[in-house]
Amino acid sequence: MEPLEVTFYLSTPVALGFPWIYFDSLIAHIRLKEELGERYYSLPTKIPVDSVPAIPIKHWKDVPIASVSIFEPQAGLHTFSYFKRGDFPFPKGKISRASGFFKDFYLKTVYVPAVKVKFYATGELKEVERLVKLVPALGKERNIGFGFIRKVEVREVEHEWGLVKDSMAMRPIPVKYLKAYEDATYMAYKPPYWSKHSVDLCVVPFTRVELA
Amino acid sequence: MSDDWLGRWREYFLAWYDEGRVEEKALEVADFASRFLDEGQVSVSGGKDSMVMLHIIVTRCRSDIVVFHWDHGPWLMPRAVENEIRCNIATVASKAKVIVETYNYGSRPEARVVWRPWYKAFFSTLKRLGYKYHLLGIRAEESSRRRARGRVVGRRHWVEIHPIYNFTWRDVWAYIFKHNTPVPNIYYKYARLLGWNRVRLTTFFDLEMQRYGQPQVDSVLSWRWKHNPLDRTNSAL
Repeated sequence: MEPLEVTFYLSTPVALGFPWIYFDSLIAHIRLKEELGERYYSLPTKIPVDSVPAIPIKHWKDVPIASVSIFEPQAGLHTFSYFKRGDFPFPKGKISRASGFFKDFYLKTVYVPAVKVKFYATGELKEVERLVKLVPALGKERNIGFGFIRKVEVREVEHEWGLVKDSMAMRPIPVKYLKAYEDATYMAYKPPYWSKHSVDLCVVPFTRVELA
Repeated sequence: MSDDWLGRWREYFLAWYDEGRVEEKALEVADFASRFLDEGQVSVSGGKDSMVMLHIIVTRCRSDIVVFHWDHGPWLMPRAVENEIRCNIATVASKAKVIVETYNYGSRPEARVVWRPWYKAFFSTLKRLGYKYHLLGIRAEESSRRRARGRVVGRRHWVEIHPIYNFTWRDVWAYIFKHNTPVPNIYYKYARLLGWNRVRLTTFFDLEMQRYGQPQVDSVLSWRWKHNPLDRTNSAL
């Protein structure tokens, strides 16, 4: 396994559902899609998956050595608002505007007008390269054009920066594994990131840290 | 938050205070609301509208009023914001009798997903308190449904009064800046992104608000409270 730098070049801004995108979750997502095939689109709601597929990324204790997203240029956040309401030719009779096809909703998406998204990780170069090429878009609201990828580059770098770079945490790391830290809060730190079992008191990305 | 952005908006809203005849509107609100205070309670969520209404009533009508505040519980309203709201209410209405009722289910994370018990708990509390009039900070401009409600709405067990019904979002912010009315700091963080006209204080990470896109914005701006509603650092701007 080699230290890697993965750079996604974007053609549209990235919509976010959290301040950062996790590289290991992206890889796990692609692996899961590969593993399940069509079954991926009809997963049960309560417990969608009972195990996370193996990812070609090195772990330190149970923390994947993969950074969160670094957006370039570091532009501020913006919002995209869209109000969908019924301006269709409505059918006769009673229709519900609270659910179903005619449901009204207000979309409020937070996005970053970034040109590049960079990640650091330690993993198998060939396999990571193969998997990232399967990613068509990053972030949320990809179905309406956010986060489209123009090209992706994977290259080997000298140092392992997936966990810490210049004494700064590059991802959430549980404080129980740390000697010193600047700021911490409860966050998910390993896939699946939606699971409450992945949540622990972690150091906040891009704050000072010292590994134990 | 003391930067250029806020300073420029402060200037704008202070200019609007005279332009939009906010003082005249506030006097009219005080005159209208004073008729209902003997048998009524002023419901204060802690948001900008209810705080403006409370400030007008306390400074222009009388200060020995009854204030009702509903605490949604930690998983819907993070403690840092809730504490700030209670402090704001105490600052503005120091002589008022403040009734705080807590939503017990809000101490569980499920409260963000299951919202039906909320309605039962909230309305049964209002009924139990037994006041004839409930003064709310609802404005006509907020939605067509609220506009259609009117300024006085007769309910089964009480009458809803909307004193600041005719205020616009500019009037509300102008009043806040002019009179230094305290509002939660989180407003300024959200207003920077969403705009002064769209910013609202609602329950956090509440799936009931999903159709308004609110939980998604909360996940980016208030991410510290996603798993830990007791985090105190998030309110730092």
